[in-house]
Amino acid sequence: MRPVETKHFGTLPCDDGSVFDFPQGLPAFEEEKSFVLIEAPETAPLVFLQSMARAGLCFAALPILAADETYQLAVAPEDLAALGLESGRQPALGREVTVLALVSLHDELLATANLMAPVVLNVKLRRGLQAIRRDARYSHQYPVVPHPAKTNAAWPPEAVCPPEDLC
Amino acid sequence: MPAGGLMLVLRRRAGESFLIGDEIEVELLAVTQQGAKIGIRAPKETIVLRKELKITQQQNAQAAIGVSFCDIAQTIKKLRP
Repeated sequence: MRPVETKHFGTLPCDDGSVFDFPQGLPAFEEEKSFVLIEAPETAPLVFLQSMARAGLCFAALPILAADETYQLAVAPEDLAALGLESGRQPALGREVTVLALVSLHDELLATANLMAPVVLNVKLRRGLQAIRRDARYSHQYPVVPHPAKTNAAWPPEAVCPPEDLC
Repeated sequence: MPAGGLMLVLRRRAGESFLIGDEIEVELLAVTQQGAKIGIRAPKETIVLRKELKITQQQNAQAAIGVSFCDIAQTIKKLRP
């Protein structure tokens, strides 16, 4: 256990088992080589990828199947090799890899997940990278909280923040 | 990313190339089932990026900007059944 300073949760003791090396960093954050995966029942289904070196850098993410329950992995052979995985086949979700879609909040009403470039974590080696798909099958802005204006969904946009149990 | 506008479409065979301005040459090296292999000759200060990498950089930058935990909490609430 070592303490890590986080963006949203103060200083947390973090288990080495949840720390992942990112040898290539993440696109636009190439210098960030280490992230801790923060999963808590209070924030489910969202999880967080917190930079170990930079407290202010924390990505919200969704387990890929929570973002799209029919998601099919297609990690490129060179990305599989970089992750230390067998390159002839796709890895088993859950058993070999944890796969996350990074979430962007565009305003308080719309959240999207990047299904085009999932973050793939090799559970055993604790190594991760963002595996940009070579196909155009999935969107980089897949709405996970659809915009009410586009769906006529019946969420009253709530002016009052926050729900007491979370903030 | 380049703004909208018309797209010039060329037909090239393997081994043929075309120029963009005076200094950039793009050659179609090979075409296979897996895709087209393209070679680019450009001044070294020219940045050549796969478009999906650029999109991912922009998307990551957007995902990292200072969202408050309140906004996140609202999102969590909406994601729950």
